[in-house]
Amino acid sequence: MISLVILTFLGIIAIEVPGLIRKKYWKELIVFLLLLFIAFIASILLAMGFEFPSLIKGIEILIKYILR
Amino acid sequence: MNLETGKIPGYQLIFLIMGFVSSLSMLFLPTQPAKNLAWLAILVSIIEGLLFASIYTALALRFPGKTLVEINEFILGPLVGKIVSLGFLWYFLHLASLHLRNYGDFFTIVYPETPLIVFLIATIFVCALAVKNGIEVIARCSILLVSLIIFLYFFDLFILLKEMDLSKLLPLRNVSVQDFFKASNAVNSVSFGETIIFMMIFPFLNKYVEARKSLLAIIIAGLLIAISAARNTAVMGDLLSIFQYPTYETLKIVDVGDFLTRMEIVVSINFISMGFLKISILYYGLVLGTAQLLKLRTYHPLVFPFGVIITVLGVINYGAISELIPFALEIYPLYSFPFEIGIPLFLLVTAVVRGLPKKTKGDQI
Repeated sequence: MISLVILTFLGIIAIEVPGLIRKKYWKELIVFLLLLFIAFIASILLAMGFEFPSLIKGIEILIKYILR
Repeated sequence: MNLETGKIPGYQLIFLIMGFVSSLSMLFLPTQPAKNLAWLAILVSIIEGLLFASIYTALALRFPGKTLVEINEFILGPLVGKIVSLGFLWYFLHLASLHLRNYGDFFTIVYPETPLIVFLIATIFVCALAVKNGIEVIARCSILLVSLIIFLYFFDLFILLKEMDLSKLLPLRNVSVQDFFKASNAVNSVSFGETIIFMMIFPFLNKYVEARKSLLAIIIAGLLIAISAARNTAVMGDLLSIFQYPTYETLKIVDVGDFLTRMEIVVSINFISMGFLKISILYYGLVLGTAQLLKLRTYHPLVFPFGVIITVLGVINYGAISELIPFALEIYPLYSFPFEIGIPLFLLVTAVVRGLPKKTKGDQI
């Protein structure tokens, strides 16, 4: 499972990065790598079976806190 | 530099909005509190939706050629504008992941043995390809898909005529006023209010005045949803409120001469095509908005990373689908309030009071 995730990310890098370097889009490259890093951490955690807290529960708590 | 060179004509906008609004709504709407008056609650919510949409179009017409992110920055200044835009981008991201998850959940009912993540990845991959090709491709897809859906919609209506019992729509005074408006407000916030995403798409119209056509699209889509809700109630009656996916359950009843049976799979055709449109539009708005916020020269490299993030968020959104209805009824209208009406109204009022934009709009088409 984890190796599949890594393979997917290598595929995404192989598709996007050469074109960006060829056109010298450095700023785009930085944003791309940053976003990909966030996505990578999140999906590796998910693949390893890490239990994320429920997102809509979090929003519910936040809204109730604001409107209390 | 222009991020998107594609242009879409006005009639494609109508199809896009119809597909966007009616996607989820034909399958799942938080109308449970309104019981047999769901259709009336939807009709009332159309009025609310039109009010919202007229604010969006007024803003779009005031700032032709500018997306929501650019308008934010123009009116609120660089810093505050960026923070507000970041809030919107989060909203689009979360919305895309919510719809993706909802989409996947529906398919785990049709295919019980397949894990959820398979549907999420397959769907987001198709959407990513559509988004990479730009708004023109999504708009052209919408013509084909929405025409198909409208055909299937009337087909469903026709084969269900035999099963309908209009007396199930009565009594009219079954529901308390509070519950009724709760339902109609929730319907508005999950279907019509989400058209705020079209603030990202209005600038790519051939003629910017055609943004007004979004009002027409909302009326048509709203009527379609209201009729489908009335149809479901007329077939199923009070039983309807216990089902997660009312339209799906309703079409299970169809039996035309022991020949046309198990038509519920037609609903999944609706859902496949409309869900694709809805997720693609939200995804497109998110990617384009991020590129504009960071002043990038192209949005293409952001497509795949955001796809992965949407998928992960989709998985961790909630545990089971049954958590979604209380969320859609109680929390979601409050959560979406600033994004759907609060900030757009504030932007419009500020623009009117300050007389923005100050330049004459002669340089636009």
